[in-house]
Amino acid sequence: MGNPTKDTALDVGRIRADFPILSREIRGKPLTFLDSAASSQKPLPVLEAMDRVYRWCYANVHRGIYCLSEEATCCYEDARDKVAAFINAGAREEIVFTRNTTESINLVAHTWGRANVKLGDRILVTELEHHSNIVPWQLLAEEKGAELVVLPVTDDGLLQLDRLDDLLDERVKLAAFTAMSNVTGTITPVRDVVRRAQDVGAVTLVDGAQSVPHLPMDVQELGCDFLAFSGHKMCGPTGIGVLYGRRDLLEEMPPFLGGGNMIRRVGWDRSSWNDLPWKFEAGTPAIVEGAGLGAAVDYLSGITMEAIAAHDRELVAYAMDRLSALPGLRIVGPPVDQRGGVIAFTFRDIHPHDLSYFLDQEGIAVRAGHHCAQPLHERLGLTATVRASFYLYNTPQDVDRLIEALEKAAQAFGEL
Amino acid sequence: MNGGLYREYILDHYAHPRNWGRLVEPDIVGDADNPSCGDQVRIEIGLDAARRVGQVAFEGEGCMISMAAASILTEHVKGKSLEELAALTEEDMLALMDAPVGLTRRRCALLSLQVLQSGIGAYLEEK
Repeated sequence: MGNPTKDTALDVGRIRADFPILSREIRGKPLTFLDSAASSQKPLPVLEAMDRVYRWCYANVHRGIYCLSEEATCCYEDARDKVAAFINAGAREEIVFTRNTTESINLVAHTWGRANVKLGDRILVTELEHHSNIVPWQLLAEEKGAELVVLPVTDDGLLQLDRLDDLLDERVKLAAFTAMSNVTGTITPVRDVVRRAQDVGAVTLVDGAQSVPHLPMDVQELGCDFLAFSGHKMCGPTGIGVLYGRRDLLEEMPPFLGGGNMIRRVGWDRSSWNDLPWKFEAGTPAIVEGAGLGAAVDYLSGITMEAIAAHDRELVAYAMDRLSALPGLRIVGPPVDQRGGVIAFTFRDIHPHDLSYFLDQEGIAVRAGHHCAQPLHERLGLTATVRASFYLYNTPQDVDRLIEALEKAAQAFGEL
Repeated sequence: MNGGLYREYILDHYAHPRNWGRLVEPDIVGDADNPSCGDQVRIEIGLDAARRVGQVAFEGEGCMISMAAASILTEHVKGKSLEELAALTEEDMLALMDAPVGLTRRRCALLSLQVLQSGIGAYLEEK
């Protein structure tokens, strides 16, 4: 068996040693974790950074005039600087901490959207989108009497870019689209779509839930107005996400949630808002999770996103090669060169729930269902798929175990 | 087949579903899907003179557990009164499966019970 990762800079053996959970056994078999697109595992530096805050310097952040509060504030605000550098934002004020990608998108819909989208306007999304980049816009469109328009995909799950100009006109106020599909793995040409949308005056929001953990993302180079992503898919903790927003847009936007920290001054007749980014961070934030996200960014940056992306690509190439050799296995989505570390598939006529249950008996964690992308599954003529997704700690041996288990499933289910 | 869930009894009901099909003039029809996996079940019941289940049929599409459960349930309902069926609990249904249905497959195993009881509910409301 060849070793497709031997040429990358990634020392996967050493990386795996950083993730305690990977040494677990599941039902007496070594854990084969192939569900990082749903949520990634956490390395020791992230666990230790969070543990350290709770044990050593925990207090509420901002405004505490004492040592612990100052140190906790540093941990939390340092994470903002790290995230800003990670995606090359122009300023730390452009990094708003939220709960996750979903909340980041909803924040934009509730504030920028309500202030700027009017009757007869259009919001453009694509058929690739996760429900979290569909439903907030549906709700906004319904409230405002605006229209949701959808850029279709090909049978391979690629955006039909030749149809984009037909859909883009001055009625389109916002183009919201994913940089990488969580089902087909499709990597979209973000810069191209952003430019074409901005040419008709639209604001652009990129769903980076899958792309930010897996690909180098430079917001200044991409030129997008908003970028939304989650900490927990990029080796960070749950409960913290990020909204990057262009400063001038964030300045103009009304606040999202009202409460402590987001105000400058509160009076009975009116209140005024805090500076960016705190204007959008009402209430006690996810302090420890912030520190964890900062550590995750350090961890990924130390390995480099280029090396992680290359590792993903090689694993997916190897997996697609081996999977497509199995009779009755249908891979959903584009060829290797246009996808990230995600492979959704169907196998013979085994129901995805039965198949993933079977794989679990072999210690293999995959996801089965529509992966929060029902319209995309409908478009591709599927009700559900099994999805294997890869990250920096996965190895060709993980792929081999998946293949072996699928061969076993074919035998077991074939008897019926 | 590995795992205690996919035991002979379940596989047999999946491979040879009992009461598969449609009735000509059903008194009761229940039809629903599980949006998380797309599984779908339709159960039809014809009542006899004593208002007990005289005929039953089902059709559906889904995983082995949801299809086996529907087959097992249709066997169980024969001759029962509507009151008896309305009183069936989720635990009763899991007991009928006679297999270790864990948390992850609970919804698959319970779909047809929900279909049956929503059909009965709609029928009683109409009366």
